Amino acid sequence: MEIILVQTIVNGLMVGMIYVLMAIGFTMVFGIMRIVNFAHGEFYMAGAFLFAILYGSNNLPFFISVLLAVGATALLGLLMERIVFRKFRGNELNGMIASVGVALILQNSALLLWGSSARTVPPVISGVLSVGGIVFPWSRLVVIIGAIVAVVSLNLLIGHTRIGRAMRAVAQDAEIAQVQGIRVDIIFPVAFVLGVSLAAFAGVLMAPVLSVSPFIGLAPTLKAFVIVVIGGLGSVPGAVAGGLLIGLIESFAGTFVSASLSEILQFLVVIAVVLLRPQGLLGRKEREA
Amino acid sequence: MNSPATKPMPYVGVTIAVGLAALLPWFAPNQFYVHLATVGCINLMLVLGLAIIARAGQLSMGHGGFALVGGYVSALLSMKGWPPLLTPFIAGLAAAVIAAALGWIILRLRGVYFVLVAFAFSQIAVLLALDMSSVTGGANGLVGVPPISIFGYVLRAKPQFYPFALVCALTTLLLTWLLYRSPLGTMMAATAENQRLTESSGIDTHRVQVIAFTIGSGIAGFAGALSTHYLRFISPDSYTFWESVSYLTMLVVGGRDGVLGPVVGVLVLTPLPELLRSTEGLQHIIYGAVLVLCLMFVPNGLASLVQIWRSRQRVARTSAALVAEEVP
Repeated sequence: MEIILVQTIVNGLMVGMIYVLMAIGFTMVFGIMRIVNFAHGEFYMAGAFLFAILYGSNNLPFFISVLLAVGATALLGLLMERIVFRKFRGNELNGMIASVGVALILQNSALLLWGSSARTVPPVISGVLSVGGIVFPWSRLVVIIGAIVAVVSLNLLIGHTRIGRAMRAVAQDAEIAQVQGIRVDIIFPVAFVLGVSLAAFAGVLMAPVLSVSPFIGLAPTLKAFVIVVIGGLGSVPGAVAGGLLIGLIESFAGTFVSASLSEILQFLVVIAVVLLRPQGLLGRKEREA
Repeated sequence: MNSPATKPMPYVGVTIAVGLAALLPWFAPNQFYVHLATVGCINLMLVLGLAIIARAGQLSMGHGGFALVGGYVSALLSMKGWPPLLTPFIAGLAAAVIAAALGWIILRLRGVYFVLVAFAFSQIAVLLALDMSSVTGGANGLVGVPPISIFGYVLRAKPQFYPFALVCALTTLLLTWLLYRSPLGTMMAATAENQRLTESSGIDTHRVQVIAFTIGSGIAGFAGALSTHYLRFISPDSYTFWESVSYLTMLVVGGRDGVLGPVVGVLVLTPLPELLRSTEGLQHIIYGAVLVLCLMFVPNGLASLVQIWRSRQRVARTSAALVAEEVP
């Protein structure tokens, strides 16, 4: 029983940390550009796919594969920001619909390029770590550690660098930030590319744990939505708390009850949060316009 | 609100269009076109439902979820022996009741939050359809849904179903048009335009939005039921997120104001996937590109082009008249 419990928690944390990565990128893009990015999961899919090709099929060294996969996806994100998202920033409804169009384009381009068959990627470190009779598979620990490293570095970047300060200022009020001399036109693409890179990195981390196909993007997008509604749209700590909460709910319900019950439970959590605290658990109230 | 379609459409044009649509089965080269037209009628109802929700300033990414609910309700009841002419109405009502309850809770939220929760709802609907396999048949769905029969006349084949679908679609169109012209329609438009201002003039905008969401989702439930009786089949895959997206695309491409926009959107986008059927992935890429390009360059939809063209003509006429006046 104890072993199952610990295993469930480790699984929950792994899934939760991936959701945290997805939700942070999602919430950042919304916080700064006011765009709900329905294509967020497609960048996750792109990251996972590129990693599967570079590391899985072509046997490139691990770190180079990670860098290339995330870098190429970031470039794709930059391109999309330039062509599409930039035109819709601040326009919440049209920006969201446009992102759905981008999702359709990206998902089906992957389908054309790489086919619909699922690919598997060998684990980065095989074997298990055993502590006091309880075993942790390394493949899962790598995901948790990788995600923690990403979240901590992002936090340092936002909290302690000039560009991070500028991003926070733009998130609070883009117009006033501009008046203060912040180059808003640079902050938007930076935030978007950062968000996309986090999604791509999440995809890279998950590639060895699940099978990679063009259709894996939608589920994490939905999760990112659910999480940011729970945590508060635009709130990074909210994304962390919401992500871990949803990961644990999913893992526990999946182990002890059923997977679809877990989805319904998450939906009920969302409804409850919306009823009791519409701005989300850690979100600030929207200022009256 | 002075949108093109709130004015009466030219009656002659409407009569000719309806007449042509009604005669389609006689001059269509083959049955496939009749099928396409039937799908178009069902799509038009779904997009009109979405348009009503949009009229009150909200978008629903869960529209397919309500069509799915409607399809299952109607299929299950008719398979239990209820008359299939009646069950689509019960299906519409069921979808409307769910929408009213859900909307009452989540329509307090501003635009994007609402969309997220509606989207989550449609995912739940698909999951429930998959999970409750003893009732819904799980992933296999329900096969052999009874056809609709009107006073003993069974609408089994395509040419028989099409007139019925057309009548349903035109009725929905007419009712939507009347709704837009009613005081409630005006309140909906005002809510979309400026919620705070509308509120300050004593209108309960939350209630207006809940009503719009209920009507729009009810229509989706009804249309989902019709489609189920037409295809005689429903499964969790019948209405997924991507179906919701395609209705939204039709609305955006056609235009969100008035009833002309949905008609244009459906006419343009219903045949598109069929024309591109041989290229599975490309079809969706083109769909996505059309959506993005329309939002960028024709944000008010193709129907707005007619309006622009008309006002240009008016300007040209007026200036020509002015010039004529000045020249002796």
